Order: sequence, then C-alpha cells, then structure tokens
Amino acid sequence: MALKAGAQKARVNLVLDRMNLVSTLDAQIDKCSSCFDRSIRISVFADEKFGAFSTNKLEKKSLEAFIAKAVDTVKMLAPDPCRDLPAQDRVQKDAVTGRELDLLDETYYTIDGKQRKETALAACLGKAPGKIKLVSEEGEYSDNIYDTLIVDSQGTFCRQTETSFEYFCEVTVEDENGEKYSAYDWAESPRFANLPWKEVSRNAYEKACAMTGARNCRGRRCNMVVDREVASKFVSPILMALRGDNIQQHNSFLEGKEGIKVFPDGMTIVDCGARKGESNCILFDDEGVAAKEHVIIDRGTVKEYFLNTFSANKMGKEPTCDGPVRPRLMGWPRAALTRDDILEMCKEGILVTEFNGGNTNTATGDFSFGIEGFVFKKGKIAYPVKEMLVTGNIVELWSNLIACGDDSRSCMSKLIPTLAFSNVDFNG
Amino acid sequence: MILNKEYYMEVFGVSLPQLEELTARALKNGGNYADLYFEDTCYSDILLRDSVVGAGGQHLDYGCGIRVLCGEKTGYAYSESTDIPSLSRAAAAAGIIADGTAPGEVAVSAANRYFGKPNPKADRYPFTGDWRTAPLSEAVPFLESIESAIRAKESRCSKVIASLSSSVSDILMYNSYGELKYETRPLASLSVTTIFIQGDKTVQTSVGRSLRMGTEFLTPQLAADIAAEAVKGLDALFDARRPKGGKMSVVMGAGASGILLHEAMGHAFEADFNRKGQSVFADKMGKQICPKGINIIDDGTIPANRGACNFDDEGVPGQKTYMVEDGVLTSFLHDRVSANWYGVAPTGNGRRESFRYNPIPRMRATYMESGRDGTVQDLIAAAGNGIFVDSFSNGEVKIGEGDFTFYVKSGFLIENGRLTMPVKDINIVGNGPKALADIKGVAGDLKIDDGTWTCGKEQSVAVSCGIPSVLIGKLTVGGEQYD
Repeated sequence: MALKAGAQKARVNLVLDRMNLVSTLDAQIDKCSSCFDRSIRISVFADEKFGAFSTNKLEKKSLEAFIAKAVDTVKMLAPDPCRDLPAQDRVQKDAVTGRELDLLDETYYTIDGKQRKETALAACLGKAPGKIKLVSEEGEYSDNIYDTLIVDSQGTFCRQTETSFEYFCEVTVEDENGEKYSAYDWAESPRFANLPWKEVSRNAYEKACAMTGARNCRGRRCNMVVDREVASKFVSPILMALRGDNIQQHNSFLEGKEGIKVFPDGMTIVDCGARKGESNCILFDDEGVAAKEHVIIDRGTVKEYFLNTFSANKMGKEPTCDGPVRPRLMGWPRAALTRDDILEMCKEGILVTEFNGGNTNTATGDFSFGIEGFVFKKGKIAYPVKEMLVTGNIVELWSNLIACGDDSRSCMSKLIPTLAFSNVDFNG
Repeated sequence: MILNKEYYMEVFGVSLPQLEELTARALKNGGNYADLYFEDTCYSDILLRDSVVGAGGQHLDYGCGIRVLCGEKTGYAYSESTDIPSLSRAAAAAGIIADGTAPGEVAVSAANRYFGKPNPKADRYPFTGDWRTAPLSEAVPFLESIESAIRAKESRCSKVIASLSSSVSDILMYNSYGELKYETRPLASLSVTTIFIQGDKTVQTSVGRSLRMGTEFLTPQLAADIAAEAVKGLDALFDARRPKGGKMSVVMGAGASGILLHEAMGHAFEADFNRKGQSVFADKMGKQICPKGINIIDDGTIPANRGACNFDDEGVPGQKTYMVEDGVLTSFLHDRVSANWYGVAPTGNGRRESFRYNPIPRMRATYMESGRDGTVQDLIAAAGNGIFVDSFSNGEVKIGEGDFTFYVKSGFLIENGRLTMPVKDINIVGNGPKALADIKGVAGDLKIDDGTWTCGKEQSVAVSCGIPSVLIGKLTVGGEQYD
C-alpha cells in the first residue's frame, strides 16, 4: 500500500500481544485482566524523506487511507538521505516460522482462567512466615504471548513468537516501632513449568524484614558492593553512551573512545542475545538485522558503538547493531565468585541492594543515585541503611573495580553479576 | 472540547441501548459496578535534528476498556474493535472477577453520582486548531525558529534536538449507574535538548512546555521563551561542580521544585496505597503533618494545564482537592474504588494512561499555595549555608517508607546567606513526613511549572506540579566526600 501511495521503500512491523494477569492482595484475588493488542508500525521512505507511523485500526479501508496520508505527510518533511532500510546481507534470514529460538511454550494455550487464579493464590504467603508483621502482600501472576513479524519492500521477512510467564510480589512489613518497610521479588521464564514462583513471596518478605531498623548513616568514602539484582545501574549508562545517536549528537562521555582502553582489564561485556531457549533473546532487531554474539568491551577496550543504519550513515561508518540485546558482564578476577565471596574479599563497606531514583549525565558520565542496603564489616552484613546517596563518575567508578561476580540472574535482560568497587562516595 | 453526544456515539459506532446492554453483560456474572471507556486517539510527532526536520509520524490508538468492580476487586479487559461482538467478549472477560459470588449493590449516595451532561461552557481545554487535521508541515518553521533563536543567542551551541508531539483523544464513558460523559482532550508537548561545547566541556540543557491546547499552542512567543530558557544560566553550568555532600538546608526554587510535593507527599496521599495500609500517611488523616499555614492541593481545574480534566477517567467531574489545609492532612486522592472503601466522595483522581488500563488514583496538578515568609532571597538568607535548587529531571518515592529522591540538574551553593558556586548533577534524598514537618519557610511566589511532567506509577499519565520557594531545614544532598 505504501509503495502504491508513492513511497519508494517501506517496512512493516506487525505485533500481536496477548496477556492475562491475576493480581492478589493479601492472598485474595484483587484484579483479573485480559489484554489483546494488535498493531502495525509502518516506516515510510519517500523521496529521501522518512516517517514512522502506527495504527491499530487494521480494517483494509481504514489502513489504506492511513497509509496514503502517511506517505503524503512524509513528503512534507525535509530530505534526510541517511534514513534507509538495512543492507540485505545484514538482515536475518533464518527466522521464518517464529519458533527458531525455541521460546514458545505450547502450554500457554492450555492455561485457563481457573489455573491462573490458582497459581496466583498458591504463590501467596497469606500470613507472615516470620515474627515481623505483614502489612500487605501484593502478588501478580501474568502470562503473555508475543508475536512479531517484520517485512519490508526489499524482501525481508522475520518472525518471532515467544511466551513469557512471570510472578511478582511486593510485601510491606511493619516493625515494633510502627515503621514500614517494603521489598519485592520476581521470577520470569519463557516456560510455565520452569517458573520458580514458589519462593518469590517469601524472598520479598525476607528482604523487607532485613531492612527493618534501617537508618540514614554518616557519609563516607568506602568500598561498594552492588547486588546482582540492581548492578545493571552501573552498566546501563555505559551502554547508553555507546549508542550511535548519543555519539553523533556529542552527548556521550564515550565519544572518540572506539578502540581505546577506557575501562579496567576486569570489564568485558559480550552481547549474547541470540541464544536458543534463553529469556530476552531475539534473532533480529527492529530493522530486521540479525542479532549475533559480539564483544562490546574487551578487557576495558571499547570495541564498538551501536550503529543502526541511520546512525551509521550519519557518521559515515559501517553499521553494527541497533543496541545490545542481552549484554553479559564476565566474571573477574576469577570465575564463580558469589556475593558472599565478594563481601569477604572487600571486608568493609556498603552493600547496595536497591536504588531509589537518580540519574546519569550521558555527556559527562557523572551520576548520583539514592540507595539502600547494608553496612558490612569483616565480610558480613552488619546493619541496614537507607536514605543515602552514592555519587561519582562512571569511568572513575569502574577504574576502582575490585571484582565482578559470576552470579547474574538468567531471567534479567542484562546479565550483570554482583559488582564491587573501592573509594566510592556515599552521603548520608 | 466538548461536542454533542451524537458525535461521540458515531465515532465509536455505538448507541445508548447498546451501552446499557454491554454494562449488563459485564455484570451478568455478578459484581456491583461496570464501566466502559471508549478512546480514539491520534498522536503526532515531528523531530528537528542536525538542523533538519527530517522525521515525523502519526499514530492511531482506538479501543474500549471495560471494568467490572466486585467490592474492591477489579476485572478488566479491552478490545481494539468496538463492534458489539468484540465488546461483548471483553465484557465477559472483565466479568470473570465476579465469579458468580459478588456482593450485592454497593450503596453509593446520590451525591456521589454524576448524571450531569458535559457542559461546553465549562470546558477547561477548548481548542481551535485540531492537530488531527493540521498538516505536520505547519510545525516545521516553528521548530526551525527555535534552533535559529538558540544559535543566535549562543555561539557555544553544538546540537539542537527539538521535538513536538501532540495528541487529540475522543473519549466516551458510560457506567452501570447510567452516567454518560464525553469530551475531546488535546495535549501538546514541546521538548528541546541542546548540547553546548566550550573547550573540552560539554553541557546539555533540556527545556519543555506542555499544555492541553490545539495548534494555537505554536506561537512565536513560545519559541522565543523556550530558546531563552535553553541558554539560561549557561555560564554557571559550565562552571558548575559537585558540592561536598551531606545533610544541609535546601531552598527549593519556585515552580519545578513542585516535584518535591509530587514525590514526597503526593504519591503517599493516593488512596489506593492508603487503602492497602502501605502508605506512610495511612494513619495520619486529620493530623498535623506539617507546619500551620501550609496548604497542599491537587487540582484538575487549571485551564489548559497538563493535569486538567473536565472529568477524570471514571466520569467524575474534575475538581480542586485540598490534601493539606493549614498543615493538617484533610483528604487523600480517590478514585471510585477507594472512595467507596473510605465512604467518601471520589475526588476526580481516577485516571489512566489509555483504554488499555483500569483507572487508579493519580495526581493532576499538585502544588502548595503561596506562603507568607517573604521572597526567595529571604529564604536563601535564612538558610545561611546549604543549597538552592530549581532545575530537575526526575524523582522517585518508596511509599511505605516515605523515602523520596529527586535529581537536580542545576542549582547553587548557599554560603553565608548568598548564592555562590553553581552545582549540577546531584541527587537529593529525604523522607516525606520528615521533610514536610521540617519546612522552615514558604515564600509568596507560587509558580505552576508547565514542563512535560509524566508520572510513571504503573501507567504513564500527564501531570504538572508547582510550588512557591520553600526552605527545608535538612535534606541529604549527594556530593563528594573530600578527604
């Protein structure tokens, strides 16, 4: 339709997304919802001009009018020859059935409303499993099937179908002084049978209980250990700074650093986003470009920027990828380090288990985050702290790397293990 | 804009008897309330980058969300098609919550039912230029004029990214009480990010404006104002550094500092958190929670404001809600669910991101009324030593604990009662109840900030905030620990 309306090239991303969700409050069903989305996104390339459009009105007549208007709109914009479809040799050709990555659990089709409610209720604590008062327990079971299809005017055809099952629980407890503390835990799997929902609520309760009595404590410069659940906070700014649009707009502290050793030997990040059967993997990006395993940072040296077709054309460079799919930070200085090993290695400092707000300046790498966690002494957790801040610069922080664990959670989109740094500024 | 009922019925292809039939279908399995929320939204966006308006687009989102309440329990489903069979299926799916064991009709007092017909004369966002029909090209010279103005003012300007996004939503609501509401909601947002380079230093500024307006939003004055804001205080930003961190007095400048109210108090006043016993303010109703003389408001009645609403997303009239009066907590922010639970009238805070979501208590425009403690200069002098902040990017709160943070893009140190070293990129952390109780002064300079504020509690909803200049005794400021 787009070509008929006057475009020279076009790409269509079609998405079908169905999700069912059951929420509980204090071990009673609180909410059931059923969602089904179908939408079409159309990228239009006409006379070296570009526009992106979407609609969920999919009746043929409505779609024809929408696309014709889209092409007319694009023609009103200024030309930008850097906008283009990706080169054909970069496009994924082995994602035809949608099932190549083995992320579709056929069990999904057999789960009914009754089973969803039973699963959600079975995952609840109902009452406090310990001495500390349980104020509220909010649980949420959800299952989802997601089907995406990309076709373009140069023959690209990519499809992926995947299922996802998740259980999330947030618990609020109250100590003997009437102070409240909340914490959450969650689990996710592409397969229903592998969803480890049984421990989630108890983990959330134990996390909340561990924070009772938390206080703001004196500011200090000391070691910082960052728990695997939240450690991506110190990797995401680096990945953001490697994005082509930030580099091209002079809005990156890693501009001009390609091929240069910026970080310590202990930092190696590999994108392993196309692995069969693993959560968050995908065979192609939004342009249809094939995802593949590649090194992003090798022993501290920046190996590549994330350049999609547009960014690469803008910068006159070869395209790489739109962004990392499933970046993995490798263990260092040795394999198999756990959080306990790292606390023992560091002896004294603050273990960060949760962030509360904050930001990183992409242009400078300066960051400041609210944190909570624990002071640890002699390699053991001593007491909880909250209402504190950690402040610094990402590059300087990483120059003080002590260790990267080997304990990242496989269900997370970024595989970042427990991290440890020295000489970190905390304010309290 | 409020058009006639027939217009909205035609947009969604439904009739009143069909709406009645659908709510009845939703309640077939039990339950005591059902509502329908029809939405037809057209979003447009256009982007200036590298001095070229080279990208734009339009996005249509259409559908109907159906909710069934069974006591406080919610069943929710939606359909992207509004033909009757599709809507009936969604109604049945939402009705599953009742499970055939619903309690009887919940008594809702006559005062809490809203049968009034939408009144075009009381419209809080009438507009003349419809974004849906205006050619995108009309915005091109507007964005170009902003870049030209910035470059004319500042030779250090390296890059300008300016984006204009707009939406117009036709909304139709109907519920099992028989209340029918309809309106058309416009929203226009302008964001400009500018990169400045001086030697080896890079500074980024981000400014924005968002109002519920049609294409009349695009004025030469707005372009000039935004360009002036983009370069404001640039020398100080190049000189800015991190302060020594720790606990100190904080003067919050008028306007955008209202994020303090949004994060530190507003969320904790949302009644769903209180109904569940989670909020740090759950047992504070009627109690003094901050110094006398302080009034904190959540307001849906400011014309063209980003948080304005003729009706909330449950059809309850938009209104001005005093949460704190003379320092006493007087009201939470209610949707119909929490209002029923508390036995009070809903406050018009039942809001949602789109038909894909059920409404929950959300803020609108949250602000503190002007005080009587002089000017911002008086507060800076009274602070003695501390920090002055007036430019922010984001914030967050933990409801149970009341711990909040907000990120300061720029400000100044206060030394001996005067502004000295510029500072930037610091986080401030505090505790809501403690910060409220620790307010030492409120100036008489209330300013509502019309930035592109979006609240992300489960769903993204447009809000705004405001505050007069306020002095808080002690908050923790992020910074370096000088050895």
